[in-house]
Amino acid sequence: MPLTNAPCLQSERLILRGPEARDMEPVIAFLQDETRASGFGHIPERGAAWRWFALNVGHWHIHGYGYFTIETKAGEIAGISGIWNPETWPEPEVGWVVFDGFEGRGIAYEAACRVRRWAYEERGFDTLTSNIVPGNDRSVTLAERMGAAYERSYHNTNMGENMLYRHPAPGAAS
Amino acid sequence: MNDVPTIDTGRLLLCPPQEAEHQPLAVFLGGERSEFIGGPESLWTAWRDCMANIGHWHLHGFGLWTIKLKSNQQAIGRTGILNPSMWREPELGWHLFDGHEGHGYAYEATLAARTHAYDQLKLAPLASYIESQNTRSIALAERLGAKFEADTTLMGQPVQLYRHPKPEGA
Repeated sequence: MPLTNAPCLQSERLILRGPEARDMEPVIAFLQDETRASGFGHIPERGAAWRWFALNVGHWHIHGYGYFTIETKAGEIAGISGIWNPETWPEPEVGWVVFDGFEGRGIAYEAACRVRRWAYEERGFDTLTSNIVPGNDRSVTLAERMGAAYERSYHNTNMGENMLYRHPAPGAAS
Repeated sequence: MNDVPTIDTGRLLLCPPQEAEHQPLAVFLGGERSEFIGGPESLWTAWRDCMANIGHWHLHGFGLWTIKLKSNQQAIGRTGILNPSMWREPELGWHLFDGHEGHGYAYEATLAARTHAYDQLKLAPLASYIESQNTRSIALAERLGAKFEADTTLMGQPVQLYRHPKPEGA
């Protein structure tokens, strides 16, 4: 059952939909995985990871956007990608994560491009950023592949030192 | 789910939570009075808590309301029903922000929340988990008719489990 009024987006190989209760365990498993979640925000304690899942649902209701669940067309839950605007962030960002076993297939790129297009075309954003922790080279590569460019570094209350990448404006983005 | 209901208790309104309420919540969580519910915390964690509570409503159909004074709409605390994944059963919980104690507001608001839990949600007799030094909350639980049931732990912390009376007529 949908927990939000998020739309369902399609891309060539993927379905992007709002969070549902069946996503809870895959999301919690990702957040508790220190290696995989280090660039996103590792949450070791299960209760706090559950709270992140609930907070994304709240984020959708308050802002009308948040993290979509990425599904393959075979129905596998492959990751999350969305628009994120928490307290203490300088401005809304495009974020992406693929879960264990789904890397190396271009899933994050395809999902994040689709999310960005939705944000520009359906939600009226005129600019977007991505916050990347230094050392997260895979995300830097993906941001650059999306056409984003390094703008500045700043201190993020939650994540520490963060690099801010600026995406191409609507019309210039793929 | 349906929208969060607003409940009029006489002097107070139990209102749907809003994002901006993380600011008074941060002041409360950052202060000494939050020591019994996991504080002190930062603005970031207050925001996260506030947004997770909104998500909680949509996951469970219940959560914490914001308690507002009917006279001026000021947010003075929260009350409602909690059941995040690390809880064993739904809990009736409450807290007031600084400067609003001593007026019976927590009692008035929490009694209305419990009535909603029983009449609308058909929940079983509710628990309240309270740290043994939190004498004000224990006094309120007892005023609400709850009785000590057991010493237990919640997220690794020793707490006392209080059990609320059954719904009237049950």
